[in-house]
Amino acid sequence: MNRKSHRPGSWSLALATAAALTGGPAQAAGDDAATLKALQQQLQQIQAELKGLAEENRALKEHEAEVDRKLAALNAPAGGTAPVAQAVPVAPAAAVPDNTSALPNASALPSTAALSPTATASPGTTGPGLFGTGLRLWGYGEVYYTNPTSERQDSQFDLARAVFGIGYQFDEKTEFNSEYEVEHAVASADDPGEFEVEQFYVDRHLNDYVTARAGLFLMPFGLLNEHHEPTNFYGVQRNFVETLIIPSTWREGGLNFHGDTPLGIGWNAGVTTGFDLSKWDFAPEFPPYHTALDLENSGVAPLQATHQELALANGRHLSQYLALSYYGVPGLNLGAAISTGDAVPVPAPPNAPIPGNQRVALWEAHARWTPGPFDLTALYARGTISNTALINQSNPGSPNPIPSAFYGYYFQGAMQAWQHGDYKLNPFVRYEVYNMGSKYDGTAGPVIPEGDVPLSAAPGDYGRWPVWYDRVWTVGANFYLGPHLVLKTDYQWFKDNVDFKRWDLGLGIAF
Amino acid sequence: MAPDLRPLGWLGALAAVAAAPVQVVVAADYLSVEQAQRVLFPQADRFTEVALALDAAQRERVQRLAGPQPPHRSLRAFRALQGDAQVGTVFIDEVVGKQDFITYAAGIDAGGQLKPLEVLSYRESHGGEIRSEAWRHQFAGRGDLEALRVAVDIKNIAGATLSCEHVTQGVRWLMALWQIALKPSANV
Repeated sequence: MNRKSHRPGSWSLALATAAALTGGPAQAAGDDAATLKALQQQLQQIQAELKGLAEENRALKEHEAEVDRKLAALNAPAGGTAPVAQAVPVAPAAAVPDNTSALPNASALPSTAALSPTATASPGTTGPGLFGTGLRLWGYGEVYYTNPTSERQDSQFDLARAVFGIGYQFDEKTEFNSEYEVEHAVASADDPGEFEVEQFYVDRHLNDYVTARAGLFLMPFGLLNEHHEPTNFYGVQRNFVETLIIPSTWREGGLNFHGDTPLGIGWNAGVTTGFDLSKWDFAPEFPPYHTALDLENSGVAPLQATHQELALANGRHLSQYLALSYYGVPGLNLGAAISTGDAVPVPAPPNAPIPGNQRVALWEAHARWTPGPFDLTALYARGTISNTALINQSNPGSPNPIPSAFYGYYFQGAMQAWQHGDYKLNPFVRYEVYNMGSKYDGTAGPVIPEGDVPLSAAPGDYGRWPVWYDRVWTVGANFYLGPHLVLKTDYQWFKDNVDFKRWDLGLGIAF
Repeated sequence: MAPDLRPLGWLGALAAVAAAPVQVVVAADYLSVEQAQRVLFPQADRFTEVALALDAAQRERVQRLAGPQPPHRSLRAFRALQGDAQVGTVFIDEVVGKQDFITYAAGIDAGGQLKPLEVLSYRESHGGEIRSEAWRHQFAGRGDLEALRVAVDIKNIAGATLSCEHVTQGVRWLMALWQIALKPSANV
């Protein structure tokens, strides 16, 4: 812009005005006409220059507005639509902040605020996720040391699970999430580990209150199944009820609709793959477990032994479920869920009567209350399998018949006993009861050999065949080093399988 | 053998309900900055943005008062004015939930008391329960950082633990920032 270029116009206007004011009646009429013409010309010239100035002023305003819009886009959070307000300095020319971030107001942001590796790197990027690409990464894992104090030779270190998640947000309404898990460090034919796809689904947000989900997803049962990262539960290992009765980590393939309301009610309903009773082992050669850790890893519980995890899952029999939760009162969480559906039946022996449909149902109810520094939890879960009498009669003397009912419950109390910065120490105590076969049809129950039995094919490996129910006390503590890292320890006493008592140490990571 | 499709019947009915003509919106965004300002201080007739410039000593004091912080992204502050009187301060802050940023608005009135939080944008598929009215209203009326303790005073929601804790930590930062740099009597 060259402001000097406008001065001649201004002088012309002044001269014209002066000429008009100084003109007198003594002038000749011819002179009047010439003067009038000259004035008209000058007026036209002035009008043209004014028009040019107005155009330039409009362009300047547009430029200023464009600068404001760019500043607003740089400064505003995503979704913010407010114009940039007049900035008012609140501090005198402050010292140069030591936070060198280029963000506006950077000196007022925490200096420790390192960006999440998968969060949008900076404002103004076009989407969420890794550097604005929509890609998300996360993970969690657990390392245990378990010492069965009656069977110290069985103490173990284990990288129990290492899980990595990959998500992708296609657009504002559609996203994909998946988790891949390696259990016990090495997965091969000669090693104890497994590689599993734990979640693999797509969410489509239909509106503020309803989201549709399809794929392989976690079932919304209990407090642990959907939120099983080690930072989310007390104790080195997961509790027995939410391992043996609710088969965490329980996932099924299917379709669901779920949502939340501003009143604090969450809901989730869907159709999924069901259970496969044809996988049931009526005649295990050896006890399927002989330590508490074995019990959790053996997959012997009714629904652990029969879930399909979308691995060539049977498509003939589907299940349906409904889960509700209420969190409308701060500090209180109530929930309940039920799933029911026909299972893949156990094949009937030749010439034996064919049993009717075998339906598997599971329901649970839970409550969590966190008054002050306390964290109190209770959960009850119960499952049933119908039409098991004929099948159990066909397998007389089995140490592992199919139960018609199984249940478990626990009470847990924890408290935040100490905190300093992001360190927290939370001791807890838990009492739980589980019974993997509270009722049997067609048999009086498992027929367990008395005395010592071979525990494996190894020579000299003898021990007791454990019972399928127990009452367990657990005392321990979680020591948090920030929200992503936890050290754990606990001690467990078993009332029925008394030799299972153990001392555990654990390291948990979640990010 | 044909699949047993009986369970699909009631799911179909549910889908029909879900697909009913509810207002379809962009799921992540719930309020604009302007809307949040008006919700927090409806009596204000205008909002003027404040440029925040803290020196190292001020920020260290804020850090000490606020305690551990999650990753933040942008932060904006506005004075809420009614005539010439300042009736409050509005912060638009962003903290990480689990993997992505939550944009929320916090209002602190002239007496230093918090208003209920407003969630502007939630971008993750889990943890959105923090939008519930009951959770957001836990902040209302609190003016003391001793009454803003994570999980003890501001309760978490199971399944949204990280979102709850990070937003609470973020609000602690805003309250400390207000006390150190924006409070009318603050030595700035």
